[in-house]
Amino acid sequence: MEKLTRSGEKHSRFELKTLLETSRLLIESRETDFVLNNLLLITMGKMLVPRGAILIQIPGKSEYIITKIKGKSELSEGDTIKIPWGANDFESIVIDPVELDLTPPELFSGQNRGLFFNLKTSNHHLGYLYLSRKGNDQVLSAHEIEFVESLSIISSVAITNSRMFSEMREINRKLDRKVYELNTLFDLSKDFSLMVDRDKIASTFKFALLGQLLIRKFFLIYRPDDKLELMASSGLLRNPNKTEMSQIFELPDDILDLQDEHYKLIPFLKENEIAALAALQMHGKKVAVVGVSKKANKEDLAQTDFNFLQSLGNLAILSIQKTQLLEERIEKERLEEEINIAKTIQKGLFPDTIPEIPKMDLSARNIPSDQVGGDYYDVVQTPDGNFIFAIGDVTGKGIPAALLMANLQSMLHVLLPVDITLGEATGRINNLIHENTPSDKFITFFWAKFYHSESRLNYINAGHNPPLLLRAESDEFEELSEGGLILGAMPTMASYEETDVTINKGDILVLFTDGITETFSKNGEEYDEKRLKKAITENRELKADQLLETIVNDVKEFSDNQLSDDLTLIVIKGD
Amino acid sequence: MLTVMKNFHINHRHSDEIEVLEISGELDAHTASKLEDSLKTLIDKNRHNIIVNCSDLEYIASAGLGVFMAYIEDVRGLGGDIKLTNMNERVYNVFDLLGFPTLYDIFDEEEEAVKQFQNSDQ
Repeated sequence: MEKLTRSGEKHSRFELKTLLETSRLLIESRETDFVLNNLLLITMGKMLVPRGAILIQIPGKSEYIITKIKGKSELSEGDTIKIPWGANDFESIVIDPVELDLTPPELFSGQNRGLFFNLKTSNHHLGYLYLSRKGNDQVLSAHEIEFVESLSIISSVAITNSRMFSEMREINRKLDRKVYELNTLFDLSKDFSLMVDRDKIASTFKFALLGQLLIRKFFLIYRPDDKLELMASSGLLRNPNKTEMSQIFELPDDILDLQDEHYKLIPFLKENEIAALAALQMHGKKVAVVGVSKKANKEDLAQTDFNFLQSLGNLAILSIQKTQLLEERIEKERLEEEINIAKTIQKGLFPDTIPEIPKMDLSARNIPSDQVGGDYYDVVQTPDGNFIFAIGDVTGKGIPAALLMANLQSMLHVLLPVDITLGEATGRINNLIHENTPSDKFITFFWAKFYHSESRLNYINAGHNPPLLLRAESDEFEELSEGGLILGAMPTMASYEETDVTINKGDILVLFTDGITETFSKNGEEYDEKRLKKAITENRELKADQLLETIVNDVKEFSDNQLSDDLTLIVIKGD
Repeated sequence: MLTVMKNFHINHRHSDEIEVLEISGELDAHTASKLEDSLKTLIDKNRHNIIVNCSDLEYIASAGLGVFMAYIEDVRGLGGDIKLTNMNERVYNVFDLLGFPTLYDIFDEEEEAVKQFQNSDQ
């Protein structure tokens, strides 16, 4: 610029004006192409130069693109040429190859005597303006060269500006896209959290993916456990089969551009123009694979697109897992609710109040565990004024056991008014249970009828833990074990044998289920019949209800209050 | 089931060979299926010259754009097209940002899209 001012006086007003107007025009322009075209046309027009060109360096190379070329030449715009000298070899803007003994590239055949003007800013070389000699083969005067130099400087600044402007525009656009991507993810995470329907989540994922990445074909294969399923897809010619899905799952995690080797292995990917695969991880485990085609505008998928794909995929998978957990929780709550209902029903099956029995002090209790169990007991008066008490235990736990126990209870109550012996009744119950329950379901059952006028107990034991009888004057226990087979195991072949015992004053009879004897201590020890017998013997002076309470507390204490099974206990004392 | 219905409406007009969907409100993940249903219905009825007039469209999310991506190939494969018109600037910016203008005909006015359909039919 200093040169320009120093020699400014020599310029005609016209030239100054041109310079001023041109510089304003160029500086204000944001189009590189416009600047270059004007630079070339103005210099050629003013200097009467018939051939000229603009060469722009390919960044980082010694090659140049012929961006503009005017005048007869075998080269055309877009061609590349080499410049045999370095961009920073010369201080001056103008380079005269002939004078410097350099061989310039032949831009115009047979016309090599032109000048190169370095298009550069203080720290950046852009390229060259080439001007041939004038039409009359005259060289440019020093004054004219100065003018072109000035224009070259102004143009270089203008080009740099316009380049920066488009770079900024590009960066801004990328930023806008990024912001938009984040907004999309943010909105979708809110949307997904409101969705409880898998299909809705899958379809939202699909549309968001297609829209955001501008793709037409994709699939999402989900593998929650070891089961593969196609959760969402679009634009495929057909869905992948099980083999293809597992092959796709076997490929390396993230493939930004699929190669021939992949296509050869899984032709499905090629047929459907799938270009990239992204793996989705949950807790370090690969749970899904998304495959996408190239963008519909033929652009390659960028790393940022790939990141978006993974984020969106993770969101969708998380939401789907969340809905599954929700479904499981609802199901669990429903089951718990059902079990509570079952427990209430079961509780109603036990007798509300124990009838007063002449010559007998009787107390009974059932302590249910967390689950519904299969224990059963009953004490009822028969039409003939005597009493029946029963105890039973259905194999297994839960609803099936409870149902069977309810069944037994109703059979017993149906048969109660019927004038048949215990033995006959047991045979019928056994047949009904055998016919109507699966073969792995049995009931251990003990029941007895107490004829109070005779103090006679008529009993049948069908496979139940033998009730313990401790005579008033004895320290030895008798076991009531006569009867027959466990209920439900096989049809009644031989009749169930009834046995009579008398219950006298002070005699103690204890009926129990295996919840008592098979209670374990923390050390894994069994409560066992021995301990039960000991508890009875040591507390034989107590009334029935106190004795029962004492035994229950002893068992609870033994297990450290960790009862795993139902406990049922009937304590009878002759009175 | 919990669904949040946002404000989104489709008004369907048709003349001769051209179907016009006037969409208004917010087109996002929750409302995308509505537009999908409309497009599917048209395709099923072999009505492939579709103009989507967006003059009252206030907001569009990626999921909304995705619906257009999902059906454009079907429609073009059948010799038709989906042309978009009358977008406000904010909505156009979203389309532009994601590169839609290179793939779809987007016009300022519905008539221009109509003309284009008429010209290509002749």
